[in-house]
Parts: sequence; C-alpha cells; structure tokens
Amino acid sequence: MKLELGNFYVKDIVFGSETKYENGVLTVNKEECLDFVKKDPHITEADLRIVKPGDMVRLVPVKEAVECRVKLDGSPLFPGYTGEVTPCGNGTTYCLKNMSLLAVGRHWGGFQDGLIDMGGEGAKYTYYSQLKNLVLVADTDEDFEKREQQKKNRAIREAVHKLAEHIGSCLKGLEPEEVETFDLEAIIKRNPETEKLPSVVYVMQPQSQMEEGGYNDLCYGWDCNHMVPTLMHPNEILDGAMISGSFMPCSSKWSTYDFMNAPIIRALYKQHGKTINFLGVIMSNLNVALEQKDRSALFVAQIAKSLGADAAIVNEEGYGNPDADFTGCYVSLENAGVKVVGVTNECTGRDGKSDPLVSMDEKEDAIVSCGNVSELIDLPAMPEVIGELEALARDGLSGGWAGDEILGPSVRADGSIIMENNAMFCGDQAIGWSTKTMQEF
Amino acid sequence: MKNVVCYINQFFAGVGGEDKADFEPEVKKTPAGPTGLINQQLKAADAQVVATVVCGDNFMSTHRDEAIERILKALDEVGEFDLFIAGPAFQAGRYGVACGEIGKAVAAKYHVPVITSMHPENPGVEMFKKEMYVMKGSHSAGSMKDDVTAMTKLAAKILKGEDILGPDAEGYFQRGIRHQVWLNPPVCAADRAIEMLLKKVNGEPYTSELNIPKKDLVPIADALKDLSHAKIAMATTGGIVPVDNPDKIQSASATRWGKYDVTGMDRLEGGVFKTIHAGFDPAAANADPNVIMPIDVMREFEKEGKIGSLHKYFYSTVGTGTTQGEAKRMAKEIIPFLEEDHVDGIIMTST
Repeated sequence: MKLELGNFYVKDIVFGSETKYENGVLTVNKEECLDFVKKDPHITEADLRIVKPGDMVRLVPVKEAVECRVKLDGSPLFPGYTGEVTPCGNGTTYCLKNMSLLAVGRHWGGFQDGLIDMGGEGAKYTYYSQLKNLVLVADTDEDFEKREQQKKNRAIREAVHKLAEHIGSCLKGLEPEEVETFDLEAIIKRNPETEKLPSVVYVMQPQSQMEEGGYNDLCYGWDCNHMVPTLMHPNEILDGAMISGSFMPCSSKWSTYDFMNAPIIRALYKQHGKTINFLGVIMSNLNVALEQKDRSALFVAQIAKSLGADAAIVNEEGYGNPDADFTGCYVSLENAGVKVVGVTNECTGRDGKSDPLVSMDEKEDAIVSCGNVSELIDLPAMPEVIGELEALARDGLSGGWAGDEILGPSVRADGSIIMENNAMFCGDQAIGWSTKTMQEF
Repeated sequence: MKNVVCYINQFFAGVGGEDKADFEPEVKKTPAGPTGLINQQLKAADAQVVATVVCGDNFMSTHRDEAIERILKALDEVGEFDLFIAGPAFQAGRYGVACGEIGKAVAAKYHVPVITSMHPENPGVEMFKKEMYVMKGSHSAGSMKDDVTAMTKLAAKILKGEDILGPDAEGYFQRGIRHQVWLNPPVCAADRAIEMLLKKVNGEPYTSELNIPKKDLVPIADALKDLSHAKIAMATTGGIVPVDNPDKIQSASATRWGKYDVTGMDRLEGGVFKTIHAGFDPAAANADPNVIMPIDVMREFEKEGKIGSLHKYFYSTVGTGTTQGEAKRMAKEIIPFLEEDHVDGIIMTST
C-alpha cells in the first residue's frame, strides 16, 4: 500500500471571492463555503472566522478539528461517513498543512467539547494554538440535545468533515510543495535486513464507550463499539479511515485531525527499516463492559503474536474506565511475550494525590505520560471570544462548572476563567504530540 | 525575617533518654539541641527559630490526641510562623511517628509547609511521606549535621519562594503528588515512546514516566493435611483487646499489637474484652467480642474434634489506617511466637 501525501504549506488564510490556494495563501470564499455548509437544513446559523497563533482569541465550545484535504482519485475524504465505503491509504491525497478547520458551537457546548486560547498563557495547553485555523461557528436545530451534557454534535461535526474536503478540492491540479510517501511492504514480503529488526505494532484504542450510536469514533463509518480489534494498514489511518467521535472529556480526545496526522504512526514510519520493522496498526477499542474489554485484549494479543510482533506501543484515547482497557491490553501483550510501551495521560486530581490510573499493573513498566486531566488552570480574560464563553460554565464541559464553593464559577464576570485541563481541546495530545510529562513533587 | 518552629523529642532536647520518654510537651523560646544548628543555618535565608517544641516519645505515642492538642494550644501563643521542622528522627521509630503526627496536625491547622527527616526504614516514612516533606535521612545521630543541613536547605528554598524541583532533586521521599510539567527542551510523546521502546526491546535501561507501585502479594499457603490434629491460632485486625487495652494499641494507624491468653475461656465476654477499632460502630463487637474474634465457635470445633486444639493466645491489632509497612513489621514480630508454639494454622479475622 503506497500513500502519497502532497503537502501545501499554508502561510496565510484570507477571505476572498474565490476559494483557492496560491503562493502559500489560502483564500476562502466565505459566502460560498457557508452556502455549502447550510445545505444541511439542521445548520441554522453559520459563520467562518480565521484565527492565527498569537491572536488574543478564546474559542469555546470547540467540537472538532479536521485537516482540509482532497483525494485525487475522487474517492471521499472520509469513506463510509461523508461518502461511499472506499479504500483509504493508497494513492495520492493533497493536504493543506499548518492549518486546521475547527468546529465551534455558536452557543451550546457539552461534556466532550473544549477550549482553545490562540494566544497568551493559555495557548500552551493545546496543539491547535500553534496552527492557523479556519473556524466554522455554527448553531443547529438539534434541540433534543441542546440541554444534554452529552451531545452527538452531528450537524456541526459533519459540516466540517464535508467542508474540509470542499476546501481541499481547490488543490486539485496544483503542484504540491512536498510529497511524503508512506509505503509499507506486505508484512511477509520484506527484505531480510528489515526482518532482522525488532518488529513493532501500534495498538490504537479509540473511544467507543457509548452504546448509543452517534457518539463514538468511527472506522470507515463503522461505530468502533461494534468491532473487535483488527489489523489495519497505517496508511488507512493517515488517509481518513478514522473519524473522531463526540464523547470523552476533551483533553483526552483525539480529533479527526489527530488521526489524520497520527504522530506515532509517523514516528514509527521514520524508524522503519532503520531501527524497527513496523508491522502495522492494531485498531482496538474502549468498550465499557468487562467482557468486551477482555475480548479486545485477547484479540490484540493474538493478532500481535500471530504477526510475530516483538514489541508494541499501546495508546488509549481517554482515562478512567478506559484505563482498564489500557492496562488489560498492556498486560495481555506482555503475557504473550510482546514488549510494550504505553502512551496515556493521568488523572491525579487537582492536588496531584490521586492514583494516576484507575487500573494499574506492575507489568506496565514503560509508560509515556502526557499530562494530568484534572490540573487546575486559571486564565485571564481574552479580548475576543469565538463561540460562547458561558458554555464552559453552563453546559457541563468536563473541565468547567457553574459554581464551586471555593473556586466560584468557571467563567467569571470579568471574562477570566478557571477550569480543569479536562476541557482543553485535545489538550493532553496523547495521540503523540504532547511535550508534557508528569513529575513527582 | 521569617519564623520557623521546630519539634524535637526529650532525648535531643537533653531532658533524658528512655526513662524520660514520658516527658510532657513544653515549648522553649530558645533553641535546644539540634534546633541551634537549624537556627544558625537558616540565618542565610533570613529566617529564625522562634520556638522549639519538646515532647517525650512515649507521651506522644500513648497520649497522641492530648499531646497534639496541648502543643497546638501552646503554638497559638507563639505567634505567626512560616514553616515547621520536626526531627531529624533518623531510624528512631517512635520519634519518626511523633514527628509525622505533630507535623500533620500543624500543617492542617496553620497551613505552613512541614519538613522532617527520617531513615528509609523508619516506619514514619511510610505513614507520613504523603503529608509532608520527609527528607531521606541517616541511620543515626552521628549524621546529625548532614540531616539538619538537608532540611534547612529545602527550608531555605521554600522560605525564599524558589521552585521545589521534586523528590529526587531535593532529597525527600516521593509524596505521591504528581503534576504535569512541560519538558525543556520539548520532546513529543511519540518520540519518547519510540526511544523507550527501542531501549526496552534491546534490553537497555530506560526510565518510565509513571512508576506503578509494586503490589506485595503473599502466596496462599498449602492446605493443612489433617485439621483434626492441627493447632490453630487466631489473629485479628479488628482491635479486640482486654477492656483496659493493656498494650495501648492505637485505635487507628496502629503500630502496636497484643497477644491475649484465652485459657479456660469458652467465649470472649463483653465487658472483659472490647474493640478499640475506630473504623466502625463498635456496639455489636463490644456486646459480643466473638463476632470479630470467634473464640466461641473455635472452642466448639475443638470439642467436636474438627480442629486439634485452639492456641492459648489470640493476637490483635487495628487495621484501619495502618500502613502496609507497619502491618508487615508487626507480622514479622508475631510470627516467631507462633512458630515457637508450633502453631499449624492461623485464622485471620478482619472487620
């Protein structure tokens, strides 16, 4: 399977009469893009904004991030979701780099939504403050969940998934500045030198805790709750096979942008043939029932063992209940003789004194830790807010609250905020970007 | 000028040794024993020792609540202070626990940082390392200067508002307090994972970013071959003791245990035995101590020939709040007695 990503590095985003990419500048026809978004009658209000690193702007409630791309063979960017089920990971895809397309609620947020500060001291808490962002700010008629803490956010999320491809289409016929090739030979047809290296699988545990449809991560449009772990080619993940869901405290989430750029896949590719033999990705899940956790761990260990993996990286999208899957998977791999490194965040509480994971085992002797979900963050007011600041306090965001006896409300009258890291948009970057770690004090 | 209050035991205050261990709490305005050195070393940080609390180790362990109350009351008179230093306690177990107890109470009441120092094998480490800075101290008072210097070095940093760099850099026991930090220079998690993986797979040393505490599991013993000839002993963490609690076992966070003769008793009578366990409503156990320490049923089994005999002593301590380290030590102290008496099996009752 050979994937070529043709990269176009965006130096600036501006609004103009035609959506086009020229000399590093992405021009966006706002009216036309908004008309495109409003084709979904459930979108009742929509606007597009541009924010850049350093802008003193606060975005909340942020619901999703996507990279704008187009596949040159005409197949849908997100098969099984924005179009038919077609293969991912083979062929050429053009990408707008250094930028993301963000989905922000005009008013209403929820448990799974987060906050991004583009500038000031809050900027260090998210990856997206380093990118130029085109921001869709929208409201919907999804009144059934307006006051629900758990929101599917179907219309707004789908709008950016589709708009990402719509905007990406302007790259057709252009010459990319850079082509990255991801070419991984069939597992049993590799050169002897590569086969001598330690063979490694990457076990991804995407979010799948909700029984009801519409909340979980999707694999080719299929609810990850309804699958057993399976072997995937890493190119599939880099090329739109996975869609982020709408569940899990936000700092622990992996956005669709995160999946499309999965840094651990890229790092493993870089080492392939040099220090390791990268076998592929085992796509697992994070279902809630113990039997389902056990079943997934069993499948993961079996696939790794059948492939002859010497080592594995296990990576969970979440904390709390999913820690049981993380530990279960880690231990079953170690028991099968596969050496594991785990990548996760921790929940040690505001005072740092709680157990870091809900489930732990002595066999977890190699862990990369990406942050503390419950770290308390106090930030000054921002001159501008995109979305609705009050959502942080009012709508049950995982790191916000309406009132607290000691701390007061998350959103203060002067616009300053106090929150838990939990509500920083994909803040723990456990997909692999995190430059945070955990330290004993 | 910042103010520091110190705590030392009767021995280091020069009151006397074991014979003076019942010495009642006293607050001295002038430095005594090691607090002179502490005072001298803190000058550089523009701080002084304004009071030194002295208390006998026995008094603190047997009258803990009273001792703490009296000390706190006396400290109210001392005026505002910024930091509390207890010890160093070296490997002295009761002294270490005393430093921890008073340090914990002071931190809770005055919200000031507390520093103490203990040898790794001092039971106070396990009990209090999460509550305060417990410096990794020496075995004995021969290293007084080193241990005091380590404490005042950290004290100076705290008083000057400098960054505390964590247990390894500063030399205190891990407190189990974990917070996120940004790596400098920044290295992303993906690169750290690959590096760790290569080291693990190649058998090279690496450092995990999260150390999972080791579980101390005891293997289950083999079954007794012939119960009808076995001598069975009873033990409990349910705090059943003679009503006068002769061994002064603490009601929580116990460090003491007792063994009690049940020769000639068909059951434990209420009013003769009771529970001193503070972790549950004692009414039922005080009315009938056999609900926790079932001597009555064991006697029946003995008569029926189900067991060979019931050992003449039962062993007792309190489980609530008791650290694993303390429990292990007590078990190690108890086991030789049971071996000496040729006990074949032990029934351990909990609450």
